[in-house]
Amino acid sequence: MTVETIQEFEPNIIGFLCNWCSYAGADLAGTSRMQYPPNVKIIRVMCSGRINPMFVVNALQQGADGVLIGGCHPGDCHYQHGNYFTRRRITILKNLLEFLGIEPERVRMTWVSAAEGRKFAEVVEEITEDIRKIGPMKQIRRVNEW
Amino acid sequence: MVNQEQLVDAVKKTVSREDVKYVVGYEKGTYGCEVTPSFAHSSEEAEKFIFTPLCVHNLAIYPKLEEKLPLGRDEKEDTRKIGLVVKGCDSRAVVQIIQEKGLKREDVVLIGIPCTGVVNPKKLKSRYPNYAEIVEIEEKDSSFSIKFNEENHTIPKEELLFDACINCEYPNPPIYDILIGEEIKSTNKETYEKVKVVESKSQKEKWAYWEEHFQRCIRCYACRDACPLCYCKECMVDQLDPRWVRRSVNLSENTAWNIMRALHLAGRCVGCSECERVCPMDIPLTELNKKLEKNIMEIYDYIPGISEEAKPLLGTFKPDDPEEFIL
Repeated sequence: MTVETIQEFEPNIIGFLCNWCSYAGADLAGTSRMQYPPNVKIIRVMCSGRINPMFVVNALQQGADGVLIGGCHPGDCHYQHGNYFTRRRITILKNLLEFLGIEPERVRMTWVSAAEGRKFAEVVEEITEDIRKIGPMKQIRRVNEW
Repeated sequence: MVNQEQLVDAVKKTVSREDVKYVVGYEKGTYGCEVTPSFAHSSEEAEKFIFTPLCVHNLAIYPKLEEKLPLGRDEKEDTRKIGLVVKGCDSRAVVQIIQEKGLKREDVVLIGIPCTGVVNPKKLKSRYPNYAEIVEIEEKDSSFSIKFNEENHTIPKEELLFDACINCEYPNPPIYDILIGEEIKSTNKETYEKVKVVESKSQKEKWAYWEEHFQRCIRCYACRDACPLCYCKECMVDQLDPRWVRRSVNLSENTAWNIMRALHLAGRCVGCSECERVCPMDIPLTELNKKLEKNIMEIYDYIPGISEEAKPLLGTFKPDDPEEFIL
C-alpha cells in the first residue's frame, strides 16, 4: 500500500450508542455545534446491554473498519446494570480478536453520559484517527454479497 | 486402569433401578480396538459395557439429545433418569449444564470414572494408518502397550494422549453417584503451551496462522454437534431471520462462525476437546477455547464446570471488573 492510499482512506465506523446516555451525549455534541469527524455512523440501541458481540463481528464483515460502543457510566445504566454485562462480553471479544490476529483496537468502548457532548466529540476524533492509522479492515471483510 | 467387573456391576445396579430409563456407556466398536457409545436398557445389555483408553466420546451430550415427542391425552411424561458413564471432563460438562439449569441434578445418574487420559485417535492413526487392525490397546503405568500384527509395541503415554489430557487438572469427576475405582491424586497444572506459542506471534503471523485454518473449514458444524455445551434448541447459525452467519463457505463467514462458536463457549467450555477430535479438517479449535479459558481465569478468576451453584460468567458482573480499554 502506498502512502497516498493511506491518506485517502476514510475510515468507516459504526457506533452502537445507548439511548439514554451516549446517544443523548451525541445529540448534545450536535446541538452545541461541536466539530467532530463525520466517520461514525450511529445506530441507536436501547441499552449497551443489547449489543451482541456478533453485531460487532457482522459490522466488521459488512464494511465497517471500526466499531464504537457507547454506554452509560458504570452505575448510571437506565436498566440498572446492562452496561456491566456488555463490559464483560466486549472484554472477551477483544481478547479473542487479538488472538486471531484482528486488531483489537478496531473495537472501542466508551462511557459517555448525556451531559458529555465534549467527551463524545473527543472520543470520535480519537477513534477515527486510530483507525485511520490501522488502515482498512481486510481480514474478515465479506467479499461478495451472497 | 478401570476394573471391568466393577463397571459392569455398577451399570447393572443402576439400570435395574426403577427410576432409571437407560444407561449410556461404551461398547466395543465394529473394527479392531474401536469403541462406540452404547445404550443399556436392561441389566443383560449392561454386560457389553467396557472402558478402554479409546473411550474418547463425551457422553454428556446424550441427556440433552433425547427427543421429546408430544404427549397423547392420557400419556404422562417419562421423568425417569438417564444413567451416564462419565470421565472427569464429561462430569464437568454435566456440572456446567446443571449450573445453567439445562438439566436437574436428579435427571441424571452418574457413574464416575477417574480418568488417566484417553488416546487421540488422530495421533494413533498417524502412527498406524490401518489402526483398525490393532487388536488391543492396554494402559500400563506410563505407557500404552499395543498389540499390532501379533507384535507388542510399547509407546509412552504422552505421544498418544490428547493434548488436553496430558495436563488435565481434573481427572476425577467433580460430581458422581457411583465411583469406579479410587480417586486419582493429580498434580498436573495446565500450562497453555500451545496457546502461548500462538500468543507470542506478531499480529500478521497470527492472522496468517488462523487464515490458513479457517480457509479449510467446511462448516459441517460437527464441532457444534459433538459439543456437550452446544445444546440450544435452535443454533444461532441455523436461524434464517436474522441470519447471523451466511451459509456460503468462505473465509469471512468461516471466521465469523468460529468467532461465534468460541464466544458462546466463553466461560462455559470445560476443555474436553471433543470439537477438535471430530473436526474433519483438523482445525485446532481447542486453542481458541483454551485461550479464552486462560484469559477468563486471569481476568475474572473463574473456572467453569466446578460447582453447580456458581453463577454463569456472562450472567454476572462485579462493579470493579477491569476496564482499561474503555476510553
